[in-house]
Amino acid sequence: MINFEKELKNFKPSAEVEEAEAVIQNHDLSDVTDLIAEMLREAKGNR
Amino acid sequence: MICYRCGQEAGNEKRCPSCGENLAVLKKIRIISGAYYNQGLEQAKIRNLSDAVISLKNSLKFNKYNIDARNLLGLVYFEMGEVVDALGEWVISKSYQPSDNLASVYLDEVQKNRGRLDSENQTIKKYNQALHYCQQDSRDLAIIQLKKVLSMNPRMVKAHQLLALLYLQEDKLELAKRTLRNAAKIDSGHTITLRYMQEVNRRLKEKEKNSSKKSKDEDLISYQSGNETIIMPKRFKESSVGTTLLSIVIGLLIGTAVTSFLIVPTVRNRMKEETRQQMLEASDTISSNGQEMKELESQIETLKQQLTEEQENSVKVESQISSYDKLLSAYVSYVSEDFTAAGEALDKVKTKYLSKSAKSIYKELSDVVMEKYFTQLYREGYSAYQKGRYAEAIEAFKQITDEKEDFHDGYAAYYLAQSYRRSNDLQSAKPYYQYVIDNYPDTERARTAQNYVNAQEQ
Repeated sequence: MINFEKELKNFKPSAEVEEAEAVIQNHDLSDVTDLIAEMLREAKGNR
Repeated sequence: MICYRCGQEAGNEKRCPSCGENLAVLKKIRIISGAYYNQGLEQAKIRNLSDAVISLKNSLKFNKYNIDARNLLGLVYFEMGEVVDALGEWVISKSYQPSDNLASVYLDEVQKNRGRLDSENQTIKKYNQALHYCQQDSRDLAIIQLKKVLSMNPRMVKAHQLLALLYLQEDKLELAKRTLRNAAKIDSGHTITLRYMQEVNRRLKEKEKNSSKKSKDEDLISYQSGNETIIMPKRFKESSVGTTLLSIVIGLLIGTAVTSFLIVPTVRNRMKEETRQQMLEASDTISSNGQEMKELESQIETLKQQLTEEQENSVKVESQISSYDKLLSAYVSYVSEDFTAAGEALDKVKTKYLSKSAKSIYKELSDVVMEKYFTQLYREGYSAYQKGRYAEAIEAFKQITDEKEDFHDGYAAYYLAQSYRRSNDLQSAKPYYQYVIDNYPDTERARTAQNYVNAQEQ
């Protein structure tokens, strides 16, 4: 059974073209390679 | 391939040529990213866009430099009506690979067609407004707004889904089903679409079951005969002529009653409902027109400001050109030793419009020329004074004293005062006499000036 109020919360406002710059700036651009590099740095630091 | 240790380009080597790091793990990661990209591409081909988005995002999590995956993700977003997300992916893609990149083509296409981008933006705004109406429980307005959104952009999956949810809430199951089918035509595998479709089908089945059971009960009569239960259709019930006539009369009476008590009010209600819907649409149109008017007014205001700025700039440029023109003609006159013309030209130069170097040229020229110009002017003024042409003399001496009051040891000021006095304008003469008294005391001129001032005061 679908609950209207609960379902409505799943719908979020779409970003408008004026907000495109903010959307791009807040984009998470890290990938697995970045994680590996971070881990290597941390490991080096611990030594 | 970029080495994760030193950040240098490593090509397809097993070890980084710069730092020597073993790149076997990195290669495997690239392979996984490629596999996710292939999966996303296959899903996009069969229009399972939401799953394609997940696969392509996964591909980018493994390799953010996978340009094909990023471009395809933007394309999928664009197809789903998520213009801003699409633009974001393409811009990032272009920043990673500025040349030989499909994202540049997509971005160029969008930039060339500004009208379409504006229309997409309006659609997004209307969708957000519809969502706002839903949150305020104004479902009628939300439905109207979403219909507009979908007429402008039928690819917006979210709008189809929200409209279907509203129809479900209003128990308009057939409309909800149609809307969900349209959503599935764009994105066949979206979980929300599938879940709502399941709900619509469940409710439709439930309704069908209830109505068939009801009609079954109404069509049959059953009675007990001995040990057996007899079930038979009503229409086979035998009836006499009198009963038939009575049934017809009763039927007519019921028909009239139904018409007057049920059908007429229903028709009236429907008309009222239609009027209400039209009113709502009209009010919505008025509010959107008002919004557009406001936007246009602000555009007009901005354009007016731009026009004023442009006009100011044009005046500034004209003054600049004229100042340089005058400076040049002053120099030409100076070279040909026409100091009067040079001085007049320099007088018209507005130094605030000159560059730093032009200002220094102006100053040098001005120092030389003005001295000679004033000397010439002084001669002319003095000659006019001696010949009794006091108006001419006043003009010449005034021009000198306005720029350099102490010219020729204050004689310019003194003769200006004298010229005024001889023109019977003692009021104008007084400040210049006073200047001579204050600055050149103990001179014959000062004493004469003092006498005239005293005479005036008496």
